Amino acid sequence: MSQTEQTVRQRFQQYYLSPEAQPTLPPRMKEREYGFLLFKEKFMVRHRSFKSQEALLLAIRDLVPAHVYFSTAYYLNPSAPMDEKGWQGADLVFDVDADHLDTPCKPNHDSWKCKACKTAGTGSTPKVCPKCKNDRFEEQTWLCEKCLQQAKEETINFSEMFFRDFSPDRADVQFYFSGHRGYHMHVHSDELLALGEQERREIVDYFLGLDLDPELHGLGEIPVGPRVKVTQGPLIGELGWRGRIVEGIYDILSREGETFGLSPSEVETVRKWDRDNLFTRPFWSSLKGISVGTWKKIISRAVQAKSAKIDTVVTTDVHRLIRLPGTLNGHTGLRVVDIPPEKLDAFDPFAESPVFQGQMKIRVGDAPEFRLGDKHFGPYHDEMVELPAAAAMLLLCKRRGEPAA
Amino acid sequence: MLTRADLAKYPFLTEASEYIRELGLSIDDIATPEFSPVLERAEKRLEEALSKGKVSRSDEADEKIEILSFPVSNLILSLTGEERARRRFALAEAKRAYDLLRQEPPEKLERIATKSFNWKLKRVDMVFDEGSTVPQLRRVYDFAVGLTDFLRTAILLREPKWKLPNRVLDHGFVYATRDEVARLLQEEVRARIVQRTADPPRQVPRLLQPKVEQTKGLIIKWLGIPTIYELPKVPVPEAMPPCVRHLIEQLGEGKNVHHMGRFTLAAFLNNIGAGEEEIVRAFKPASDFSERMTRYQVEHIAGKRGGRTKYTCPMCTTLKTHGVCYKPDEVCATIRNPLSYYKKQGRVLSRKGL
Repeated sequence: MSQTEQTVRQRFQQYYLSPEAQPTLPPRMKEREYGFLLFKEKFMVRHRSFKSQEALLLAIRDLVPAHVYFSTAYYLNPSAPMDEKGWQGADLVFDVDADHLDTPCKPNHDSWKCKACKTAGTGSTPKVCPKCKNDRFEEQTWLCEKCLQQAKEETINFSEMFFRDFSPDRADVQFYFSGHRGYHMHVHSDELLALGEQERREIVDYFLGLDLDPELHGLGEIPVGPRVKVTQGPLIGELGWRGRIVEGIYDILSREGETFGLSPSEVETVRKWDRDNLFTRPFWSSLKGISVGTWKKIISRAVQAKSAKIDTVVTTDVHRLIRLPGTLNGHTGLRVVDIPPEKLDAFDPFAESPVFQGQMKIRVGDAPEFRLGDKHFGPYHDEMVELPAAAAMLLLCKRRGEPAA
Repeated sequence: MLTRADLAKYPFLTEASEYIRELGLSIDDIATPEFSPVLERAEKRLEEALSKGKVSRSDEADEKIEILSFPVSNLILSLTGEERARRRFALAEAKRAYDLLRQEPPEKLERIATKSFNWKLKRVDMVFDEGSTVPQLRRVYDFAVGLTDFLRTAILLREPKWKLPNRVLDHGFVYATRDEVARLLQEEVRARIVQRTADPPRQVPRLLQPKVEQTKGLIIKWLGIPTIYELPKVPVPEAMPPCVRHLIEQLGEGKNVHHMGRFTLAAFLNNIGAGEEEIVRAFKPASDFSERMTRYQVEHIAGKRGGRTKYTCPMCTTLKTHGVCYKPDEVCATIRNPLSYYKKQGRVLSRKGL
């Protein structure tokens, strides 16, 4: 274990021994599998089960893991080997992560370095190195205010879509901040527990709008006279994707209508439209010269814009291990936070997830500016600093600094 | 309420089994002379299913014979122990049910879906694209099907209209037409019959034994002798689907392939009989190749480690969701799993003598 890891582990241990360390138990905790990723050699302790919060806390205090996980699945024998566990069902889980979002601020805080030729750059990592065409990189990402804000907004957008179209019992839905770059939404509804991987995949496809066929949502041409056809389609305010398609079209056309063959004056007309009165017939046919084929292209962009930015693997995996709320995320030293749904909008991850108290002295390599609570830190460049422990731990966990000798 | 005529139309309903129970018949009654029309109809059901893939409505008006003959067919079929015949029969009976169900008034469909198959189902009157003068563009929904019931059955169907993104969802319900509900019920019927023909009873009435043998003959006559198609002993790259070839190419060029892609490739190769060495070799060009790690993962997928489950190749739909599907061709349109592509192409190639 490196000096940094030892220091981080020591602080984690202090936290877990303190009375504030109270992991939030998932419903039916005894039927879950628990997993711990250790600091030492990144070893994973799996297939553990616990009868009470005390027992779980004891194990955490004993192992002092970098990450703590529990299974989204319920098992008859959670501690048995995988194929003898007796799967009983699994929560429906969604993950919205800043890693999957394309935020404009990424060049300011994310960077990459080609493993082969050492060429470096900022922003989202390119697919291949611009110099040597290799595609393996060392990446550095950061917890950025804007990225996390967008992840939160995407989570809210998605959850609104989910509540409207799926209507789960609100008491069955929980939100968590992952302690790093994303948000999780767990649904414990009895009705959805038994869904298999294939059914969950359909649900993911639904929120992605994958393979959505506009004609099955009402797009088409109707003859109104000899050789005269009128285009028609769904209306704003209609249920599910029908209404969403129309909302999306408004955004796409007013932003980049020209690329779809609209004249500048038509784009101007679209911009002036009142969104509420929009797309009531005969909207679809009033924009002349847009063929059904072009509408399909526009709709495909609209669906993309309106689709949920959820991770496809997390939701479809019915044996997933996921972060336990109330424990620490080893990538940041921040706490995984349980967020009541009504507080999601106002949730501030930088204020509600730090846990460490006191001051720490560390040597920082390079770090962008960041905020914790109402204090701003950095940017730092190769300097020795004394910081509040939460800020110092974040830098240590992100490998941006080392403990002062 | 369901009438006796309904039970004759839908003898797979629990109410039909109850009706038979109330008649107080036992399995030995099959041997009695009064029973011979029932046996005849049971045989006819089987023969039609095996020969035509569809069971027609009986010309006989005798509802009792219709109701009683169905479980007898099931019994004979279960005794043959032939899975392909069970599947064919289940499909044939389910198709027959669909033809009848689609003509039923909504209240009867509702009754069958909710009472016999425990669906969450609501009657609605929802019209979309109402102003359309073209009937095909108007959508009239009589039902809203509970999401989980919809998903369970719709994932078995391939047409784009069954994809969830192409449906209208409203607070946990999926709108469906009468015909669509009948079609989804067909899948429920099929699953139920496959299940009911699974376990033969221990005690077999002697009279049934010749019927079982006769049915076995019919199975061979119509379905042929079961041939297990042997996959080529050595992997044939020409028979591999575009997604797998793409994965191999990408690895070959030292490009990064994400986890799902790697898993797909390893599971695919393992299932077509490639040896561990061969699979490890496919991963060698990867820029982050670690022999120890790759070997460990390959052994895991082959079921030699960990949970000891031998993994099969993910379905095409899964690969699509995770972005592994690549330039699907015309063969892809006919299969659901990359392994079926390989089997199909392997057969074509071997016929060509390649």
